[in-house]
Amino acid sequence: MSEDLVPVDSAAVWPEDAQDVTEAIVANWFVREGSDVEEGDTIAEIQIEKVSVDVPAPATGELVERLVDETEEFERGDALARIRPA
Amino acid sequence: MAASDGKELTMSRAMVDAIAHEMRESDDVFVMGEDIADYGGIFDSTQGLLDEFDRDRIMDVPISETAFLGAAVGAAQSGMRPIAELMFVDFFGVAMDQIYNQMAKNTYMSGGSVSVPMVLMTAVGGTYNDAAQHSQTLYGTFAHLPGMKVVVPSTAYDAKGLMHAAIRDDDPVVFMFHKRLMGIGWMPAPEGPKTAVPDEDYTVEFGEADVKREGDDVTVVTLGLHVHRAIEAAEDLADEVDVEVVDLRSLVPLDTETIVESVSKTGRLVVVDEDYRSFGVSGEIIARAAENGLSDLTAVERVTMPDTPIPYARPLEQEVNPGTDDIIEAVRSVNDE
Repeated sequence: MSEDLVPVDSAAVWPEDAQDVTEAIVANWFVREGSDVEEGDTIAEIQIEKVSVDVPAPATGELVERLVDETEEFERGDALARIRPA
Repeated sequence: MAASDGKELTMSRAMVDAIAHEMRESDDVFVMGEDIADYGGIFDSTQGLLDEFDRDRIMDVPISETAFLGAAVGAAQSGMRPIAELMFVDFFGVAMDQIYNQMAKNTYMSGGSVSVPMVLMTAVGGTYNDAAQHSQTLYGTFAHLPGMKVVVPSTAYDAKGLMHAAIRDDDPVVFMFHKRLMGIGWMPAPEGPKTAVPDEDYTVEFGEADVKREGDDVTVVTLGLHVHRAIEAAEDLADEVDVEVVDLRSLVPLDTETIVESVSKTGRLVVVDEDYRSFGVSGEIIARAAENGLSDLTAVERVTMPDTPIPYARPLEQEVNPGTDDIIEAVRSVNDE
């Protein structure tokens, strides 16, 4: 089951000029667990130091699980959520 | 994706949604202010707009409130629909002539030959230790001076609908957003302001307060951030007092009817306001309740900032800013009378 899920990879949205920063927080989730998302939809916003970065859905499907809570810290490369592709 | 799917927006994104929509609809709509273009507004109120619109319509200005608010008044009188951001409401002082003597009065002074269809958008509120010149709400100041409509959203849904209505209004509208409701990473919002927001445009009419929580024992009337504090207090008290929470949403016009109806049901009124205690919103609400239904009033309390500059020190600011505990105490107090 879980091998079918698409992870939302935080490294994929890390800005070029913030490569020396390794930690960030999730500032906002815009989609609840169990909701449908479309590829490219902004599903969350992360904050790397003082820069806000939008996180697009990497696939169309259902956002089954958020792995990091709002205001929680995570490391570059951590998966933020899992999507079950439609 | 429909909003009912569970997609939610922060208050700042909801405001940007409305502004972008109105800018697409009409070339007359533009935004000017300090750090609103490249930076996206220091509280994210214009984030992302420069990606879609050019610098003629998303315009950074120098630190020159008198000049750029005056320019907005002139543009509005000439038929455009400017949105001018006053970065912190506390900075109104330097530009008060443009705000109060020009923006608010020119329709009257010209005998109605010009209108001033502009939005003055400004950040209000404390709770993050930014000292006395960056933390005021000043709701009462703008609501007291005639000529301006004044709106104060507490949720993303209301913020989008009020912003659409503000931009379309033919009179000047002061749109006061609380920083802590915007959904900024370094200033987390309480539970509540992030709501489902429809993709399409809609308006929230001015002068229509919203009963955010129904109850029979005590009415709490409030606005902005403190709607969420009041709801939290009401939930904490649910076993002992049934609290109704009325969110004013706009101060000018003010929905007296909803306040009076609620007080006629409960008989007990608590007004919560992050503005100063004296000569402001709290006194006005109590006066309206008394004028329109004195016999219904059993007990009244107000929970406000004291009449003092807002402290910088964290424990001192927390002490003076109305908290959930203060609301609980006031509700208990009027309920016991």
